[in-house]
Amino acid sequence: MGSLQSTLIQLLQGFKFTFGIFFFTLIFSIPLGLLVSKGRMSKIKIVSLIFQLYISVLRGTPLMLQLLLVYFGPYYIFGVNLGSIQLGPFNYRFIATIVAFSLNYAAYFAEIFRGGIQSMSKGQYEAATVLGFSKMQTYFKIILPQVVKRVLPSVSNEIITLVKDTSLAQVLSVTEMFTKASAAASAQVSVIPFIVAGAFYYVTNLIIEQILNRVEKSMSYYS
Amino acid sequence: MVMKKVLASVMAVATLALAIAGCGKKDDKKFVVGFDQEFPPMGFVADDGSYAGFDLDLAQECAKRMGREFVAQPIAWDSKDQELKSGNIDCIWNGFTISGREDGYTWSEPYMVNDQVVVVKNDSGITSLADLAGLKVAVQKDSSGLAALNDNPALTDTFGELVEIDSYLQAMMELEMGSVDAIVMDEIVARYEIQTSGKPFAILDEAVASEEYGVGFLLGNTALRDEVQKTLEDMAADGTMKQISEKWFGSDVTIIGK
Repeated sequence: MGSLQSTLIQLLQGFKFTFGIFFFTLIFSIPLGLLVSKGRMSKIKIVSLIFQLYISVLRGTPLMLQLLLVYFGPYYIFGVNLGSIQLGPFNYRFIATIVAFSLNYAAYFAEIFRGGIQSMSKGQYEAATVLGFSKMQTYFKIILPQVVKRVLPSVSNEIITLVKDTSLAQVLSVTEMFTKASAAASAQVSVIPFIVAGAFYYVTNLIIEQILNRVEKSMSYYS
Repeated sequence: MVMKKVLASVMAVATLALAIAGCGKKDDKKFVVGFDQEFPPMGFVADDGSYAGFDLDLAQECAKRMGREFVAQPIAWDSKDQELKSGNIDCIWNGFTISGREDGYTWSEPYMVNDQVVVVKNDSGITSLADLAGLKVAVQKDSSGLAALNDNPALTDTFGELVEIDSYLQAMMELEMGSVDAIVMDEIVARYEIQTSGKPFAILDEAVASEEYGVGFLLGNTALRDEVQKTLEDMAADGTMKQISEKWFGSDVTIIGK
């Protein structure tokens, strides 16, 4: 059973990174997604087209490929040497991972937000104008709260997918939980570490699911 | 009653699993060689997309002489044991270091020697192992380089960070762009890569460890080992091995029959 204990310790070390990727990606990709959705809905044709292209490319190519490009691209395409960058405790390896994940997830979030925003009826904007709300007030006090409520189920989907997608960071040799599980499985020639890692992922998502369910319930103020 | 039913279904599933495992048994006509496809010049993807390399040439010739169909099966290096145990591959033949793995596999005789060396950038100013103190050092996951480092904590503990990377080619890309300061890797591979890529890398004179390459079979599979070993000796005796070695290294680096 000693090996199970060491497996657990190794997986927990990896979980730090898994959770780090998850957390920072959410923090950055949701606001970025909101911006992208705004750009995508812009009345200026060229702006809208640029953001459409962004969404199309980021959704249409593998995240694993995007990770490698973000990490190696600056040097091998542009000759910019970022390899030795260090921001506090975060090295370039981790930063590039977060950048790639955030860019990718922002594209998905943008489309979800756009769906939510465009589903609001014109009448609400008209009513708000009549009642003397400014554009900003209308957006933040009337539209956004309803949008959040509407998009929550789709956003939950993405959040849960994100927890599992963190395992892709292994292509950049980030020692997240999946990398640790592979190493332990290989050292012990056993699938137990994979099963334990699976349990970790599942429990994490179970907790996230519970939180999201609560949030959803707290917002169902009409029913 | 319920328990009985559960037990019955468990048994049914187990029987089915056994039956499927039985079907997976490989036929003797094939010789499936597992290798890391990013390990030049032993095994790698050539410009035309085919698998090439010194070890694969040896393995192919060996398969031909044994009257078996040669299959080159690229594997993820850190799951090589599972691949071997599950019978997906017959052997690991890919600059496979014997030292430190003696008890894990049934081995052929060593056919060439190799050092674990440190690769750095030309202009890094690193000239000895002591200079690596506090720096970021890369090594391949589950490699003999990693094993050599683990055996030498006096050296490894001085490193700033030990980064385990999927493949040496990726490690070399990281070295070039500076996200790591040095790589611990097989000398054979390092020399070949530096020579063919022309990258501004240098190899430190001080090696981390010295070792030998062999062909690894599933523990206990002596029948296949003996067959391959005999064929290798024949190839050494009639000069075929020397010929293949000269093709890849410009000289005969093999040690079988010498």
